[in-house]
Amino acid sequence: MSMIERILWWIGILALVVAIIGVKIDISKLEQKAQEVSQAATEGGEE
Amino acid sequence: MNAKLERVLYIVVIGILSLVLLGLGKTEVELQKKIPITAEELYKKLGNPKVTLQIIDVRPYEVSEEEEDEAEEIDYYTGAHIPGSIPLPDCDESKAPEEALKQINPYLPTVIVSRDGDPEIFKKCAKKFTIVQNLKGGIVAWDDAGYPEDEGEYEPPAAGGGGGCL
Repeated sequence: MSMIERILWWIGILALVVAIIGVKIDISKLEQKAQEVSQAATEGGEE
Repeated sequence: MNAKLERVLYIVVIGILSLVLLGLGKTEVELQKKIPITAEELYKKLGNPKVTLQIIDVRPYEVSEEEEDEAEEIDYYTGAHIPGSIPLPDCDESKAPEEALKQINPYLPTVIVSRDGDPEIFKKCAKKFTIVQNLKGGIVAWDDAGYPEDEGEYEPPAAGGGGGCL
C-alpha cells in the first residue's frame, strides 16, 4: 500500500471522528434543551 | 503488514465509524423533535437565506361563511398565515389544496404550525416528515410577537419547492 493511499484512509477516518465529535456536542446541547423544555412543561402543568 | 489486510482493516474502521455517526444522527433528529422552536427562532431562521425550511400549517384552510363572523383570523389559514407556509389541514392530505400538496417535501427540515402549538397534532404530523419541529405557541405566539403574516389563498412559489421566506 502506498503512502498516499494510507494518508487518504487516515483523512477519511479523521473526518468521521471529527463529525462524530461534532454531532455528540450537538446532542448534549439538545439533551440539555429537551430537559429544560420538559421541566418547563411539568412546572406549567402543576400550576 | 499485508496491503490487502491493511485495506480491509481501514474499511472496517470506516464502516464502524459511519455506523456510529448514522446512529448519532438519528438520535439528534429524534431529540430535535422534542424541542419546539419559538416564534423568534423561526423568524430569525426565515430571515437567513442559507437556511432551507418548510413550514406546514395544520389549521383549517378556510371557514364557511356562517362561521366567518365568529372565527378569529388566526383560526384558519386564509385568515392569517406565516408567509410561505404550506396548508395541510389536520395533517390530512385529502384536506389540502392540490397545488399545496405538490410543494410538500417530507425530507426538508419542517416546522409544524398549529393554532396554539398543540402537541397532539404535532405528534400525528411528525411521522410524515424526517426532520421536524413544532412551533411553540403556534400561530398565536407568532401573531402576538407581531411578526409578518399573509392572508388569503395559498399561492405556490413561482419556482422551486419548500417555502417559508419573508
